[in-house]
Amino acid sequence: MILLEVENRILSEVLSSRASETEEIAPVDMTVADFDGTMYHVSNPEGDATKVLVSISVPFFHQLQQFDVDSFMKGIYGDMVTSPESGYDFSLLVDISKLGANPEVTISNVARLRRNCFAAVFTKFFQMQKDGKMDSIVLNYKEKETMFINAMKDRVTVIFSTLFTDKDDIVIGKVFMKAFQDVRGRNPSAPQVLFGHAKDVPRELEGTSALTGDNVGYVTFVLFPRHISDDKMDHTIDLIHTFRDYLHYHIKCSKAYLHQRMRARTSSLLKVLNRARPDAEKEKKTATGRTFVRK
Amino acid sequence: MSFAPAPKPKPTSTLQPYPDAVRSSLSAAMCLQNFASQVVERHNKPEVEVRGDEELLMNPVVVSRSDKESVLIEGSVNALRVSIQIKQADMIEEILCKKFMGFMMMRAENFVVLRRKPVPGYDVSFLITNFHTEQMYKHKLVDFVIQFMTDIDKEISDMKLTVNARARICAESFLSQF
Amino acid sequence: MASKMPACVIDVGTGYTKMGFAGNSEPSYIFPSAIGVKENVGRGMAQGVDDLDFYIGDEAMNTPGYATKYPVRHGIVEDWDLMEKFYEQAIFKYLRAEPEDHYFLLTEPPLNPPENREYLAEIMFESFNVPGMYIAVQAVLALAASWTSKKAERTLTGCVIDSGDGVTHVIPVAEGYVIGSCIKHIPIAGRDITYFVQQLLREREVGIPPEQSLEVAKRIKERYTYVCPDIVKEFEKYDKQPDKYFKQYTGHNRVTKKPFSVDVGYERFLGPEIFFHPEFANPDFKTSISETVDTVVQQSPIDVRRGLYKNVVLSGGSTMFKDFRRRLERDVQKRVDLRLKRSEELSGGKLKPQPIEVKVVSHAMQRYAVWFGGSMLAATPEFYKVCHTKADYEEYGPSICRHNPVFGTMS
Repeated sequence: MILLEVENRILSEVLSSRASETEEIAPVDMTVADFDGTMYHVSNPEGDATKVLVSISVPFFHQLQQFDVDSFMKGIYGDMVTSPESGYDFSLLVDISKLGANPEVTISNVARLRRNCFAAVFTKFFQMQKDGKMDSIVLNYKEKETMFINAMKDRVTVIFSTLFTDKDDIVIGKVFMKAFQDVRGRNPSAPQVLFGHAKDVPRELEGTSALTGDNVGYVTFVLFPRHISDDKMDHTIDLIHTFRDYLHYHIKCSKAYLHQRMRARTSSLLKVLNRARPDAEKEKKTATGRTFVRK
Repeated sequence: MSFAPAPKPKPTSTLQPYPDAVRSSLSAAMCLQNFASQVVERHNKPEVEVRGDEELLMNPVVVSRSDKESVLIEGSVNALRVSIQIKQADMIEEILCKKFMGFMMMRAENFVVLRRKPVPGYDVSFLITNFHTEQMYKHKLVDFVIQFMTDIDKEISDMKLTVNARARICAESFLSQF
Repeated sequence: MASKMPACVIDVGTGYTKMGFAGNSEPSYIFPSAIGVKENVGRGMAQGVDDLDFYIGDEAMNTPGYATKYPVRHGIVEDWDLMEKFYEQAIFKYLRAEPEDHYFLLTEPPLNPPENREYLAEIMFESFNVPGMYIAVQAVLALAASWTSKKAERTLTGCVIDSGDGVTHVIPVAEGYVIGSCIKHIPIAGRDITYFVQQLLREREVGIPPEQSLEVAKRIKERYTYVCPDIVKEFEKYDKQPDKYFKQYTGHNRVTKKPFSVDVGYERFLGPEIFFHPEFANPDFKTSISETVDTVVQQSPIDVRRGLYKNVVLSGGSTMFKDFRRRLERDVQKRVDLRLKRSEELSGGKLKPQPIEVKVVSHAMQRYAVWFGGSMLAATPEFYKVCHTKADYEEYGPSICRHNPVFGTMS
C-alpha cells in the first residue's frame, strides 16, 4: 500500500456487511477513530438495527460553520443528514433497507465523511479563487497542527505545519519533504511544492495563528487553476487532505524498513562471529564411508 | 591432493591501510591470559574495565583514519576493549548510526563480545576477555571486528541511499497522482 | 498525559487477529494473522518501496501471486520483519489511526520470552512513535473479560480455559500473574470437533459434496451442537423421540447449485463430547478436560487452589457450546468432592475438610474474551498510568517493557 485510502474501512465494512445481510441485521454500537483526531460513533438510535446513525467529530468542525457546511453536506448526502448527536459535530442517518439505486456508492460516500469535511473548506476556497476573491484561513485540522489555506489572484496555496514528535523524525522528515520539493520537476502536472523547516517559516504564516516551532516542518502546495478546475477538484482534495498522514506513514514505513535491514545485517554479522567458534568435533569417515572412533 | 587456498584478492581501495592497521594492532593486543583479581578473592574480572592496577593495563592505542573515524584499543592482562568511532558525515548518518548501534547493543546477549554501552566518545565497543579467546579462534575474532567495521560503514551509507530513494519514490507517487 | 483518542487494542493470535478501539464491545476486525508477500522480494534487499507491496488478513489469503505467511507460531512471534509490516497495515490501512495519537494495548501468550516484549517495544516506539503502550497477557485479559458476567467476582485469580481452533490451554492465574509451570495443553480444540463431526457425517450421510464436507461439518458444529449431561441417556432420548431431536441441515452444492439436505443426529452432542472423552476422536489421548483442569489446580500453589476452583473462566470460540459450563462445573466438582471424601475416609473420620466450591464462569463476550478484556481495561483511566510511555522508553531503554504491572482490580 503506497497511497492511503480515502474511505474509512470500518464504516464501509459495517455498512456493507449489513446491506448484504439476508437474515436479521445485528445491532451496532461502536466508537471508532480515524486520522487526525477524527472520531465516529456508529449506533442504532431507536433500537432499530436497519437505521444506522453515523456521527462524526472532527477537531476543526466549528471552523467550517462560516462556510455554510450544512448546505454543502446536504448537497452530498441529501436526506440522510440529520441533527447532530450530542458530543459530535455532524450526523447521518443511514437506512440500510433504503440505500438507493446504487448501495455501493451510497456506502462509499458515507465512508468518505471525513474527506467531505475537508472538502467543505477546499471547495469554498477554490471557488473564491475562481471568483477572484482573496482570503485565507488557518485550519486547526488536528490537535496542535495547522493547515493554512490562502486563496490568491492566480492560485491557492496550502501550507501544512506538521509536528514531529520524535527528534530523529525531523531529520528523516526533512529528507522526505525535500524530495517532494525536488521531484516535482519530473511531474509537470503536479502542483509546485516548497518546504521549510524550523527557522525558515514561510512568510505567509507570519502574523497568523499557524503552528510554528523548532520541530515543525512546513510544506507548501501551490495549486494553480488547472488543479482546481471542476473536473480535477475532487481528485485534488482526495490527495491533499491525506498529505499529512501520507508523509508520516512513509516516514514510519522507512523506519520499519531500516529495522528489517538491521535485522538482516545483525544476523549476518552473528554468523561471522559464530565462525570464530571451533566446530564441534566432526565424525570422521573412512574412504568407504564407514565411521570410526579414535580411541 | 592438497591445494593451497587461493590468496584473497585485496580490495584495491586506498583506504585498505586503515583496516590493516587495526588488524595488526588488534592481533597484537589479543595476547590475553587468565588473571584472577588481586583485590577480591575468587573474583576474576576484566582488568580493562576494573582499572584497579596500573601495572595490569597496557597503553591504549588509537588507530584513526580521520578525525571522524578511529578505533581505540585498550589492552590489559586478561581483557581487551575495542571501541569504534564510526564515520558520520551528516545528520542522517548520525541518526542511522545511533539507531543501528542501539539495535545491535540491545541484542548484545547474542553477540557475546559486544559491550552493552560504548566507551564515551565512541559509537560501539567490544570487550574481549581471555575466556573468549580460549573458546574462539583469535584470528577469526579479529576477522569479525574488521568485518564489523566495514559492514557497518557500508550498511550505513546504503541505508542512507535507500532512505533518499524511498523519499523520492514516495514523493513521486504522490505528486504523479495530480 | 491521557490523550483524548481511544487506545488501540490489537490481539494477534496464532490463527486470528482481533483489533479495534478501546471501549467497544466487539473488535472492528477479525481476520487471519496472515501476511501475503511477493515471493521474489528478498529480505532487506527490496528495491525502492517494494517492501510496501503486501497484504494482510483476508486479502493475504485471496490475492493471487502473493505467498501467504504466518508471522505468529504457537502464539509467539517468529518473524519480526513480517510482524512489523503486519502492524504497518493493521494501523494505517485498517484502523486508520495515526499511532502518534493513540496508546496501544497489545497482547502476548503466557510464557512469552521477555526479549519479545523488547522487540515489540522497539517496533512500537521507534518505528511508530506510539506515545505509550502496554503488553498484557492474554489469559489475564480473559479473566478481566469475565467480570461482565454477573456471577463473577472482580478478581484476577482464576483458571482460564482458552480454546480456539488449534489447541486448548488451561492456564492458572494468581492475582494477575500466570503460574507458568502449571499450564497444560489439550490437543483437542475447534478444528478437532469439526473433523470429528465430518467423520460422523461421512459414515452416514451420502448427499454431501465431498469438497464441501468440511464446511458443512463446521456449519453444523456452530449451529446445532451442545454438551449433554450424560451420553447414554442422551442416546436413549434420541432413539425414543427422533423427530424432536434430529435436525435437518440444508445446504447448496456449489457446483451444481442444487440444494441437499443432511440429517443431524447424535453428532449434536457427540461433537463437543470429545472434550470430555477425547478417546472418541484421538486414541492416543485420554485425559478429559475436567481432569486436566483438576490436575492444573492441584499442581498450583496450595494457597491459591480454592481461588482457582472458584473461578474457572472460559475464553475462545470453542468454549461456546451450550451447557459446556454446566457440564464442566459438575465434572470438576465431582472429582473434587471425591478427593475430599477420600481424605476424610483416610483420616478415619477425624478430619472434616471444608467443602471446595467449583464455579465455571461463562459470559456473553466469551468468543473474543481476550480482546474484550483488553478493550475494557484500556478504556479505564488506570490504563494510562500503567502504560510505558515513549519518554520512559527513551530514558531507560526497551528493557522497561519486560515488566507490565497488573492493574484493574482496584477500580
